[in-house]
Amino acid sequence: MNFKRALAVSRRVFMDLKNDKRTLALIIIAPLFAMAIFGLAFSGQISDVKVIVVNDDMGMNTTIGQVYLSEVVISNLDPDTLSITTMDDLPSAISEIESGNAYAVFYFPANFTNITILAYNQMTEASTSVGIHIDMSNVNVADTIMQTFNDAVQKTMQERGLEMPVSIQKEAVYGANASFMDFFVPGIMAFVVYILTTLLTLINFVGERTSGTLARLTATPLRESEIVAGYAMTFSVVGTLQALLLLTVGMLVFGVNVEGNVALAFMVVALLAIVCQALGILLSSITHREAQAIQLIPFIIMPGFLLSGVFWPLEALPTWLRPFSYLVPPSYAIDACRSVMLRGWGLDMIWIDVVALIVFAAVFLFLATLSLKRRG
Amino acid sequence: MHAIKVEKLEKKFGDFRALDGLDLDIRKGEVYGLLGPNGAGKTTAIKVLTGLLKMTAGNAEVLGTRLPNKDITQRVGYMPQETALYLGLTVHQNLEFFGKLFGMDKSKILEREAELLKFIDLERWKDEMVTNLSGGMKHRVSLACALIHEPEVLFLDEPTVGVDPELRESFWKFFGNLKEKGITILITTHYMDEASHCDRIGFMRTGKLIAEGQPQAILREAGTKSLEDAFLFFARRGK
Ligand SMILES: Nc1ncnc2c1ncn2[C@@H]1O[C@H](COP(=O)(O)OP(=O)(O)OP(=O)(O)O)[C@@H](O)[C@H]1O
Ligand SMILES: [Mg+2]
Repeated sequence: MNFKRALAVSRRVFMDLKNDKRTLALIIIAPLFAMAIFGLAFSGQISDVKVIVVNDDMGMNTTIGQVYLSEVVISNLDPDTLSITTMDDLPSAISEIESGNAYAVFYFPANFTNITILAYNQMTEASTSVGIHIDMSNVNVADTIMQTFNDAVQKTMQERGLEMPVSIQKEAVYGANASFMDFFVPGIMAFVVYILTTLLTLINFVGERTSGTLARLTATPLRESEIVAGYAMTFSVVGTLQALLLLTVGMLVFGVNVEGNVALAFMVVALLAIVCQALGILLSSITHREAQAIQLIPFIIMPGFLLSGVFWPLEALPTWLRPFSYLVPPSYAIDACRSVMLRGWGLDMIWIDVVALIVFAAVFLFLATLSLKRRG
Repeated sequence: MHAIKVEKLEKKFGDFRALDGLDLDIRKGEVYGLLGPNGAGKTTAIKVLTGLLKMTAGNAEVLGTRLPNKDITQRVGYMPQETALYLGLTVHQNLEFFGKLFGMDKSKILEREAELLKFIDLERWKDEMVTNLSGGMKHRVSLACALIHEPEVLFLDEPTVGVDPELRESFWKFFGNLKEKGITILITTHYMDEASHCDRIGFMRTGKLIAEGQPQAILREAGTKSLEDAFLFFARRGK
């Protein structure tokens, strides 16, 4: 292993990336684009969901006058999330759901206030219920509706001094003031470096194979390990620069906050880039033409997208699928970057992720070198 | 002193014998021309001798070193049949890259680069991206890359393809100069007129030599006026 020759390869790859304006634009713009598009799309709250209230509640006569508990619940429904209209008759309200004009109908029966108060004071065994007719075809929307309704009921009870038997107190251990972007930027940093490094090395290397330069290098003193090391140097630097760019724009534009040591997060990203460039070289050995490399792209993107935890938590995957996330290198980098940047963890806490990445790097670098040594 | 010595060299691709008992014995400072039809095995022979392919049987030595051997690459120059350059890099960047691979320092590379650019007549194009050059110009850059480290043995696979006649003439003059310095050249070509510049030529067919000698001697033996006819003569006789 001769460092000068590896450095020559590294410089050559740098110049290749630099000379090609489109590649350069891809390296700079693609991460920002991904952050903006995904960040804005995923951080969006569900809002203005159309629901209909049908209120038959007769109220209850108390010492302070006629009380309508239903009205209080309705007024406690979050007006940003739900857009509420009232109707008089349940069947026609339900037909609005059927025709797709509304997502849900809340129906308060005539005895709602009466039974609720009596039951609370243990003066009756009877019970009452609110009927919620709901379109479950969009699970996220349906969940939000139910959540909003439950919140309104709880708030009403508290306001009336009707103590719940159990009270819940939430205290943030980490990320007390974290916004969605604070959570998202560390993930997208690692994710973008995974995708771009793998693709750029794959394309660059398929080029080396098809143009005959790789074969020509065989007739020089350059060794296979030096080629791999040269690519690794370039892409670890490029990956770190991309992460730096993302974080800078994230902080300036999206007001992202960082808890921990950013340098540690960058080190993780650089390590991931080394893993990914070796993966790119390895993948290039099973392709002979550029067109074949393009066929591989979905197999690079999809597992990273689904299994790395960047957009959905791994807990959202079916249990049988979860172990596969251990096979996807960006999973470790995303986890480590989040732990560092959101929780402020140090190397002592993320070392398992780092070790996993080092193992991946060692195996992939070895295999990539081996794949280059194989010749006719 | 042999610069290149090859005995019973065999290269199989699956069951197909691209080289089938090739023998070569090329002296130091000799310009040796390898001729033969498409698919004769000329490129395969060069690829085995430069370490791109592994031989399946036989023996090969370059500058007294038995192949395969990585260290010998330092003293060997190779110009592949296809252009094999970094198209996204400039002429200068290509030359510099190959120079560095051979451990040359910056000033030495620049000095050598100036010489070579003058010889291939591309001084004006030094900072042009290779992809923007014409086919023949790319070929000239490729030759310069093979020469950057002043190799002692040169393997040139069809170096004059697509090069205009005037420049081809100057190429052969240059090869003559290299020979004067004791550099050995193994060259393949389809231009029979060029072959007469060689000290010796070898006719190849189906992976082995069917005739070998000085161009004049070959003509005498075949009793023909041109090397083309001589080749046909040996090819028919071989059957
Ligand atoms: N990698 C390979 N796999 C299988 N067959 C090969 C391979 N490389 C070369 N061959 C075969 O070996 C034979 C010799 O090819 P080679 O390229 O050496 O010919 P050549 O004499 O250089 O021809 P040309 O004048 O066209 O350059 C051909 O039949 C070719 O098809
Ligand atoms: Mg050939």
